[in-house]
Amino acid sequence: MKGEILYPGAFPMVRIELAAGEHIKAESGAMVASSPTIDIESKMEGGFLGALSRKLLTGEKFFFQTLRASRGPGEVLLAPTVPGEIVIMELDGVNEYLVQKDGFLAGAESVSIESKMQSLSRGLMGGEGFFILRISGKGMLILNSFGAIHKIELKPDQEYIVDNSHLVAWSATTSYNIEKAASGWVASFTSGEGFVCRFRGPGVVYIQSRNPGSFGNWIRQFIPVSE
Amino acid sequence: MSTEPNALCFGQEFPASGAPSLVYVEAHGLTVTFVSDTSGRRSEVASFSDLTVLAGGQDHDQLVLKWTGAQGERTIYLKNPDMIRAFRQAAPDHMADPLERAVERVRQVRHRRRMVWSAVGGVALAFMLGLWFGADLLVELAVARIPVEWEQKLGQSAYKDFLAQQEIMKEGLTVSAVDEMTHRLTAQIPDNPYKFEVTVVKSDVVNAFALPGGYIVVFTGLMKKAGNGEEVAGVMSHELNHVLQRHGLERIVKQLGLVAVVSIILGDQQGLVSLARQLGVELLTLKFSRAQETEADLTGLQLLYRAKIDPSGMISFFQRLSEKDEGRMEWFSTHPMSQGRAERLKAELVAMPKLAPVPFTFEWAKVRESLGVQPAPVP
Ligand SMILES: [Zn+2]
Repeated sequence: MKGEILYPGAFPMVRIELAAGEHIKAESGAMVASSPTIDIESKMEGGFLGALSRKLLTGEKFFFQTLRASRGPGEVLLAPTVPGEIVIMELDGVNEYLVQKDGFLAGAESVSIESKMQSLSRGLMGGEGFFILRISGKGMLILNSFGAIHKIELKPDQEYIVDNSHLVAWSATTSYNIEKAASGWVASFTSGEGFVCRFRGPGVVYIQSRNPGSFGNWIRQFIPVSE
Repeated sequence: MSTEPNALCFGQEFPASGAPSLVYVEAHGLTVTFVSDTSGRRSEVASFSDLTVLAGGQDHDQLVLKWTGAQGERTIYLKNPDMIRAFRQAAPDHMADPLERAVERVRQVRHRRRMVWSAVGGVALAFMLGLWFGADLLVELAVARIPVEWEQKLGQSAYKDFLAQQEIMKEGLTVSAVDEMTHRLTAQIPDNPYKFEVTVVKSDVVNAFALPGGYIVVFTGLMKKAGNGEEVAGVMSHELNHVLQRHGLERIVKQLGLVAVVSIILGDQQGLVSLARQLGVELLTLKFSRAQETEADLTGLQLLYRAKIDPSGMISFFQRLSEKDEGRMEWFSTHPMSQGRAERLKAELVAMPKLAPVPFTFEWAKVRESLGVQPAPVP
């Protein structure tokens, strides 16, 4: 399995070469094109009810797609929905990452992806929803961001404050507390200023240079309101 | 023993994501081997007495060991349960104290989280049970949160799918008659959020139906059965009111139950549309409830009245349908009969002030003729 980012920048794609029999898990809808040797399996992990509840509670896509080179070697082209960067990471078997649900693009078969329920307060205020993905194992992991992706490296006990809607992924060795961005909790709820996460190292935190929610609000002002 | 790394080691010279390393717990302390080192496997040793023990990581369930060795400050993160157990067994008793406390805290955090989520699940379950036992209020609350655009999207896809397989009447006397009725009626709807689309379909089915979002289909079979334009207008007024009262959405929300309520409450209305599709909720065979039928009848009657269309047409059409003939089954399959429907409407009409109806501009006999009905006197 080999991954290569095409057209790096705002509108990248990723090309993944698969040997015969290899497969990857991809966000459903991410596939742009593929060799005729690749089969798409939309397996519902955890059965229909599992997939359904995941869909409901996470807003996550109904399933991951499995793209399998079942009829010989081939390649697939994948692209995220939003404009922004793609990064390819190589998981070493010990590092574990938590990924907000829109940040996952694809992962090798040896990479394990599980939905993890957040604490209710983190779910309500963290901005990543009630579920995030816990990704571990060994092999290729491909993330995508809205805007450019930026890596923050934290030494043990080093702290950094991140606006929660800019979070993409973070190491499981970090810990964080949610704090209010404005001067009071009520102000935070009403001003739309949102919440920030105070991360504490060691580990890495990947952030995106654009905030999807704010961008949505900005776009909305140009959409004529129907009567 | 496996030679796969089982821990991450942090220190000044290591990458921020940590160096994959292999930790052995021995009688005196730890041996840490850095497996990614290309210059051969380098090891460092720390004795138990040098270590500070903490709990860390996202869920405070990783064992964190810190010490200052000859090579500088070191921090080890262990998450493998076997490793943590091995450390607890080998470490001197006093070291186990902070560890026990950390473990206890993790257990408490997990327990609390489980309690909170059980409570959330309980609330969701209560919602579901509420729906199941007909708490229509909840359905209405949920339906009120769905924007008209989603409703239109939902209705439109079913409407297009349906029409694609039908022979549509595009022009002629029938279509202009139906357009006139639609105009007269919709002009009397204040703050109408819907753009109604009415299509006449060539079919002997004696029926008409309304999809969520304002998509209405009238079959020519129903028009052939009608004795005058007011009867057809009565049916259309009934259908328009199914849309205005959002009856279709209420049925869908009821059928989807918990699923819909949870997704609407969490603000995922798009999810509802795709869910409705994925669950194969057949919009076209959606059967309204008796209460909804009565509501559509009564509000339909009022709409006819405001549009100055003789409301007795609606009543006579329902009477015609309740006579024994093959057409009634089709209508009642999607619009269940409520007892004494025509009588109820009659009583309602009597209570309203006298109306001076404005007739339609078309001649009903000619419309029927264009549909191929012999100009025989209508019984
Ligand atoms: Zn009806």
